[in-house]
Amino acid sequence: MADRKPLLELKGVSKRYGGIAALTDVDFTAYAGEIHAVLGENGAGKSTLIKIASGVTDASDGEVLVNGTPHRFRSPTDAMKAGVVCVFQELSLLPDMTVADNLSMAGTPTRGGFIDHKAQRARAIELLKRVGCEDVHPLELVKNLPLSRRQMVEIAKALAKKPKLLILDEATSALTAKDVERIYVIIRELRAEGVGILYVSHRMHEIEALADVATVFRNGRKIETFRKGERSVRDIIQMMIGREVTHHYPPKPPYQDNREPALAVSNLNWGRELSDISFAAGKGEIVGLGGLDGQGQRELLLALFGVLKGVEGAVTVDGERLSLTGPRPAMDAKLPLALIPEDRKVEGLMLPMSVRDNLTLASLQQMRSGLGIDSAKEAAAVTAMVDRLQIKAPDVAAPVATLSGGNQQKVVLAKWLMTEPGIILLNDPTRGIDVGTKQEIYRLLRNLAAEGRTIIFYSTDYAELIGCCDKVLILYGGRITRELKGEECTEHNLVASALNVETVPEKAA
Amino acid sequence: MMAKGMTQRIGLDMPVMIAFGCIILLLLAGSLYSREFLSPDYLLQQLQVGAFLGIIASGAMMVILLGHIDLSIPWTVTLGAMMATALGGWIGEPGVWLAIPFGISCGALIGVLNGLGVAYLRLPSMIFTLGMNAVVQGLMVLHTGGFAPQDHATDAMHFLAVKRTIFGIPNALFVWALVGIIVILILRRTAFGRAVYAIGNRESVAYLSGINTNGVLIGCFAFCGACAAFAGVLLAGYSTKAYQAMGDAYLLPAIAAVVLGGTNILGGRGNYLGTIAGVILITLLQSILSVMQMPEAGRQVIYGAVIISMLLLYGRGARTRS
Repeated sequence: MADRKPLLELKGVSKRYGGIAALTDVDFTAYAGEIHAVLGENGAGKSTLIKIASGVTDASDGEVLVNGTPHRFRSPTDAMKAGVVCVFQELSLLPDMTVADNLSMAGTPTRGGFIDHKAQRARAIELLKRVGCEDVHPLELVKNLPLSRRQMVEIAKALAKKPKLLILDEATSALTAKDVERIYVIIRELRAEGVGILYVSHRMHEIEALADVATVFRNGRKIETFRKGERSVRDIIQMMIGREVTHHYPPKPPYQDNREPALAVSNLNWGRELSDISFAAGKGEIVGLGGLDGQGQRELLLALFGVLKGVEGAVTVDGERLSLTGPRPAMDAKLPLALIPEDRKVEGLMLPMSVRDNLTLASLQQMRSGLGIDSAKEAAAVTAMVDRLQIKAPDVAAPVATLSGGNQQKVVLAKWLMTEPGIILLNDPTRGIDVGTKQEIYRLLRNLAAEGRTIIFYSTDYAELIGCCDKVLILYGGRITRELKGEECTEHNLVASALNVETVPEKAA
Repeated sequence: MMAKGMTQRIGLDMPVMIAFGCIILLLLAGSLYSREFLSPDYLLQQLQVGAFLGIIASGAMMVILLGHIDLSIPWTVTLGAMMATALGGWIGEPGVWLAIPFGISCGALIGVLNGLGVAYLRLPSMIFTLGMNAVVQGLMVLHTGGFAPQDHATDAMHFLAVKRTIFGIPNALFVWALVGIIVILILRRTAFGRAVYAIGNRESVAYLSGINTNGVLIGCFAFCGACAAFAGVLLAGYSTKAYQAMGDAYLLPAIAAVVLGGTNILGGRGNYLGTIAGVILITLLQSILSVMQMPEAGRQVIYGAVIISMLLLYGRGARTRS
């Protein structure tokens, strides 16, 4: 590493939003040809660091140098010209345009002033191949792609800009294991070409697998930069959260086969997305939905909540047939259902509205007195829930948008807990949130189950399914291909069944 | 902190304060031209005229908060006036008592149709209500045979629109106040009001939270239609009869009043205090321009320019805050 060239340097950089410091006096250097992991809880300052480096915001204090020359990025385009390209956590693709259009958004190939569709398409094919998405048609509309494919397209779009420094912010949070492998390969190739990479992820094993160097942030300050292997995972987590971590997951009770049934699904079909889904979930049981991304898990949750039209099959809740005609019947069932949706920004929250308004939206019926809302009752319920989930908000009247990602997710959970649900459907609830909040959510789920509630939990993170679930249903092509109970929930079994490989020796009866 | 909480409670935010500031500026500027502009008589007169716009804007605000728009307001106003005045001719004596409720119900019906189109057919409200406006126009032309109808306003309509019963305050102002209080209570104190804001922010979230979003859409459009028709009824009382195109002058002012009052044209944000300010501002602006005997063309230019520049002002305010 004698030829380490500093690509991006931050010297004494601070950033304040209003009176609140998001980043305080940070010195940070990223080198060419190195993968640099940026670690920290949400709200630790990682996002701000990335925004400054990629020109989304300006530093309040301090200096930004690219290749040794001071730069002041006024927009992402400025940063792009200097070779800094960022793949943001929030997807930035235009859903109603084709993949090819999106890929050539910056620098459309033209001929005689008109778009050269042939060249554009050829370029799209080449870029898609580079990220291993040959199966995506360049003329497909982005909105028709599953989330994981969209994320790969997003990465391809960044590569189209020929970056010198590529910033990946939670780029793998929506990806399946296979895609993540592909990303590893691409990142290593880029490193070999001398591209510098800043890699933000909450998944520790990814960082172990990839990073040459890592820097930990906490509360807007840089804690430490260290090279690979100098610190153990335990040390790193300790640095990130600043408190002792005892257990990653709360202890699981032994597997019980004879639970009182809460939810029974038989022969559920929906178009080609779901076929012959049958399973049962007992009271107090956490049932995981596993498998590769986009195998119907999301649709299954939506179908149970009554959101999909034209679902065939029977769903019984505590012995009563559930009408699958909309969220209301599901919420009014004998054991009320609650759905914590996948994308909290689009389906879970109204970002400009207050924490209070978001929290009580689903449970307003309980707050009624006469024609109006009983504001005293509402305030009491909100305070109790904010305390129970330890939601960190300056004020319940503050817009939800001002909270960190983890706290926003807690608001979504709290909103549904206020409806006193008996069956909780969770769609990848820990996506893109920090380790500390994740652990709180795991504990919360276990406590809810202990109270006798049923939890159906879809996650793209295998470790999470293993750590949290009593049993895991593996979906493949819209069918349940395997049911893993208790001790059978191992990484090997999960991965093998997810890929629908029939080599599993201990196949359940 | 205390003061901030207080101003937030009553909804005195940036756009609302700007709007009230502009009202004071307009009055001061007007008073330089003529002292008359500050006389209580003139002001009450303006509020009386503004009451009609205020009632229309109340309904328009509910729809705009949803992120939709109702362009059928002009002919719904005319419909309300014509139906209310025509009823007496159809059914004789009872028509005197039923005229006002009948006019309002006709407007509500148009609103329900708008709501059904937007909620179930999922057509863009801008197109659907524009089409509805044309349909109602056609029906009204058919109804009158293309001539101004000779149906006169009932005494009750005249009483509400023109008379001053208590302390010389126009009755129309009390009617507006009543409508305003209803809107405030709905928006602030009911689950329906919360649902209106929720839908305006993100309809998918509201739907997934178990809210009957289609019901709320229909309800708001029905309310908007009812308000427009009610204003039409009062306008008929004010000018003693209903006539063709009497609502045409109210579409832009109603939407402008709501938006100048700080309600987000894309929905989800806004409070009624702002709409009150917007209505007064628009009414004063129109009055002062006409008192100054500005030619019609010049009036239109200034009127439009003021609306655009105020919106620019809010845009800047919002950006500096975020």
